[in-house]
Amino acid sequence: MITLDRVAARRSPMTLSDLSAQWGPGVHSIVGAPADGAALLFGLVCGASSPRSGQVRVLDGSPTDASVRRRVARIDFDPSLPEPLRVAEALSLAAKIRGDAGLEIGGRLAILGVETLAARFVRSLSLAEARAVCAAEALTSPGVRAIVVLEPLVAMDPRAARRIGDAMRSAARAGKCVLVASSSLRDAAELADDHALLQSGRIVARSSSIEALYGVSGQGVRLRVFARDDDGARTLAAGLAGIAELTSLERSGTSVRLRGASATALAEAVAHAAVASDVEVIEMRVEPIAAKQALAAEGGP
Amino acid sequence: MIELARLPLCRLVRTRRAWLVLAAWSALGLWVAALARAQGSAHGADRALIDAYGFLLLPVLSYVAVGAALGARSLRAALAPLVAFGAPPGRAAGATIAVASLASAAIGGALAAGIAAIAHGAADAPRLRDAVASAYAGGLGAAAYACWFSLGSGFGRRGGGRALLLIADWALGEGDGAQGFFTPRAHVRNLLGGTPPLGMTERASAAALVLIAGACAAAATWLARRRT
Repeated sequence: MITLDRVAARRSPMTLSDLSAQWGPGVHSIVGAPADGAALLFGLVCGASSPRSGQVRVLDGSPTDASVRRRVARIDFDPSLPEPLRVAEALSLAAKIRGDAGLEIGGRLAILGVETLAARFVRSLSLAEARAVCAAEALTSPGVRAIVVLEPLVAMDPRAARRIGDAMRSAARAGKCVLVASSSLRDAAELADDHALLQSGRIVARSSSIEALYGVSGQGVRLRVFARDDDGARTLAAGLAGIAELTSLERSGTSVRLRGASATALAEAVAHAAVASDVEVIEMRVEPIAAKQALAAEGGP
Repeated sequence: MIELARLPLCRLVRTRRAWLVLAAWSALGLWVAALARAQGSAHGADRALIDAYGFLLLPVLSYVAVGAALGARSLRAALAPLVAFGAPPGRAAGATIAVASLASAAIGGALAAGIAAIAHGAADAPRLRDAVASAYAGGLGAAAYACWFSLGSGFGRRGGGRALLLIADWALGEGDGAQGFFTPRAHVRNLLGGTPPLGMTERASAAALVLIAGACAAAATWLARRRT
């Protein structure tokens, strides 16, 4: 459905280089910080940006073809909706442009639990509500075959955030290709079936398991561990010091941040240290490492 | 194409501020016409149309109408909601420019006819004929201005090129030299009975306005297709 063949593109401050990938029906994630280029990649898929070299094919055509544009939906972080219209009118306009007939507006919005927005003017919507409306339009249009979503769980209406995962999986079951970009490993793992790790404009790894991406990232993984109190965090940090798997360790209040090559190895080390020092760990979280941070950590520019 | 026209049309119809501004400028035009009539000027309609309507009111009205149709943003940003729903950018731009031009022409034509009828003087052409001719000149000029400003809206982050073209029209279109040939102002003035650019006939100026409108609309559409 979406094929990138040795694509290079640039739109400041993002650059994509030698990018090759293929996505079919299903929910797929692209994990990376905003500066890594997911927005530019989506721009290419939607025909809003042109590659400098290489080829982008979407639904067996060029993304700029009128017939392809109609079947691709993009949910941006700051979506464009027709501001003088009511939400119901906007959805009806979208249906006419996409060639969808006989769709019931309330039902379309209900898929994400935001049917109460139907009578509101688009200009009165908050960012989160606008994103939910945009997502409902994209996910319920029968004509849309490819959907690209930037950060689906960030700044999303809470009613929609609870349901968007199911809605995306349902769209995937209907044969649609849903491409999700997120800088949150947790969001990506929750929403998608397979993952691609985008770093500095290159896909450095693809896997069906988020865990598998940690080891191949080249930048390692950062784990944040929360103890119940300051003393617990201090004891845990002392217990972790000197463990070979760690490349860095820092404590801040009740949390301890550690970095290493493998998330599994780090988690095991934390578990051992917690048991050995009798510290109660209340939460353990994997945090993505942004490209710039990684470069800084490696002594780069 | 009809559905693509719905968004700019709604922007025009539902933006109260745009209506207030258009109404204020139109009221100014009618007040100038009433003043010319009160002064008993023999060429009252000519004076009001050339000195006030063609000089100031028509460009400003078209400027406001285009701004309203685009939601006071750049052409690219104005088309973004339609393009996000899968509309081809070129067609969306065409529909938006068409709505802006038709609205501009309707407002400009009606105001010109009103001014001609109110300010009619003894030495002016018969009132009805003058009103119809003024409506034609105003409508054509307003449509050309709308395309002119639509092209301007293609430049700048918030469509600041629109204001630049308004200034360029004032700066270049005032004289009767060659530079005026490329601006709507010189040709509108000719159609309203003022000094022609390069000694052109009214028919040639009408053709030039159509040419300017077509070229600007085509360029704006091309820009939209390329940048959206």
